[in-house]
Amino acid sequence: MSRGDLAAVKVTRMSLLFRIQHLLLTVLLTVLAVTGFALMYHENSLAQWIIRLEGGVHNRGIVHRIAAVLLMANLVYHVFYMLFSREGKPELRQLFFTRRDFDDFLQSLRYNLGTAKEYPRFGKYGYKEKFQYWGASVGILLIGFTGFMLWAEEFSMVFFPKVVLDLALIVHGYQGLLGFVLLYLWHIYNVHLHPSVFPMNPSWITGKVSAEWLRREHPLEYEKLEEEGLL
Amino acid sequence: MRKFALMAVLVFLGGAFLPGLARDASASISLEKCTLCHGKPEFRKLLVDGRIRDLYVTGDTLAGSVHEKKVCTDCHFDVSEIPHRERPKRVACTHCHFKGNREGAPQSDNVLAYFDSVHGTAIARGNTKAPLCQDCHGSHQILKVKNPESKVSRFKVAETCGRCHMEIYAKYKTSIHGVALSKGIADAPSCTGCHGEHRIYAHTDPKSTVYSTHVSGQCSKCHSSVSIMSKFGIETEQVATYKESFHGVANQFGSRTVANCSSCHGVHDIRPPDDPLSSVNPKNIPKTCGKCHPGANPNFAVGKIHVDAKKKESGIIYWTATFFKWLTIGTMLALVAHIFLDMYGRTRRLRGER
Repeated sequence: MSRGDLAAVKVTRMSLLFRIQHLLLTVLLTVLAVTGFALMYHENSLAQWIIRLEGGVHNRGIVHRIAAVLLMANLVYHVFYMLFSREGKPELRQLFFTRRDFDDFLQSLRYNLGTAKEYPRFGKYGYKEKFQYWGASVGILLIGFTGFMLWAEEFSMVFFPKVVLDLALIVHGYQGLLGFVLLYLWHIYNVHLHPSVFPMNPSWITGKVSAEWLRREHPLEYEKLEEEGLL
Repeated sequence: MRKFALMAVLVFLGGAFLPGLARDASASISLEKCTLCHGKPEFRKLLVDGRIRDLYVTGDTLAGSVHEKKVCTDCHFDVSEIPHRERPKRVACTHCHFKGNREGAPQSDNVLAYFDSVHGTAIARGNTKAPLCQDCHGSHQILKVKNPESKVSRFKVAETCGRCHMEIYAKYKTSIHGVALSKGIADAPSCTGCHGEHRIYAHTDPKSTVYSTHVSGQCSKCHSSVSIMSKFGIETEQVATYKESFHGVANQFGSRTVANCSSCHGVHDIRPPDDPLSSVNPKNIPKTCGKCHPGANPNFAVGKIHVDAKKKESGIIYWTATFFKWLTIGTMLALVAHIFLDMYGRTRRLRGER
């Protein structure tokens, strides 16, 4: 097949259920970030405007918690889906970090610096995707746990002294900021600003990517699909 | 016709002014006439409830006060005959004390502020127990507020308020502010320090200086001032840390149920934390927090309440915050570096492919 044909061939990268989970995650994280950072930076006039828009601190808290509960539900669903569904199980297997990812990372660094000749060849998920996935997972777990502690403060303080809650507040806020930074400097770059996908990788809406893109960015996955005759 | 009109005007004006002139000319009733009766030390009245109203007044009664040049009828102007048949009405200070008066009384709008206050509105509703000017400032021995002997001076005003607000006065007197004031520490607030002077409102009134969303601002007037607090070795960042806390943020955005300074530290009975009677003594903290957080246990007293994550003294909280700060900065730098490297490498890769 020529390159033009490959560009026309579409390959499914995200199934409908994954797209729904991803869309929910996008919307909920945005709501959580807007309501959360408004509180974190409450002395900022834009934050104050947002809080007023949300109907005061009390309502802001309610919106934040509704979004949090939905996010947790999404997470639980995702965990079950990844662990037990026919589609999820092989996905999860491909997402685990291996020694190879670390080598790939070093090789890409060397290649980018000009000391290696070959750019690493990635499977369906390269180190960039895996880092994003596990970073987000750990972040959401940590932020969810501390958030729950702060939400049920009277319950938490049966077990923990106040200093632990202060700590939870610090972790919750800063973890949110760190997650936000990762989201913008890593994920937005990889799926929106990266020249190969700019202005965006359409797979989160259509679920499909072109075979040509797959061949360039995820050659191992491309070869696997070709072998299986799925192209 | 015109002459007639002029005459009419003159007669009218004369009619208007002459009685006034006559009254001025008589210069009201002299002091001697009043002291005919009031000058006798035993001149008093037994009231229905058994109390005695002392009616003894002499020429020295006003001596030394701000009104020493005034005579009885300047204030008791409703007394026009002697002996007066009815009890004179309560003195209305507004007769002279209003902005723009020509009597030489101080020019101020305090009287208007008072009429809007909780005391003034109570009077207007007909509450006879509510205080008029003279109930706080004194009746005959009115002194300037700067005079330490004045009933409204810094050191005496609490006692004056306490004549009606007895229970509160008793609490205040043993509080840290009351004790400090009784030791002669002029920085300590008396009633008016927090509640205001003429503009006193009920604490449930949003206009009040001690309304729930105003309390922290009111306390911070002194408690965020290094120059005042350093004299007593009290920290000044309590207000700032409160404002950063969940309580403070909710309070700033208008929550009326969230804790303000006095919810925890007390209102009139504020005591230092090492005082066993203090509501913020570690032993009492579970009970104090329990007012809003049912089931509060001694865990509430473990760790500093007013925490500033930016200060090293906060220990693990400071270190965690610092760790996250640098982790975030480091991540940002690493990611930016990665992005640029990736772009650079990619252009090379594409060039190679071509």
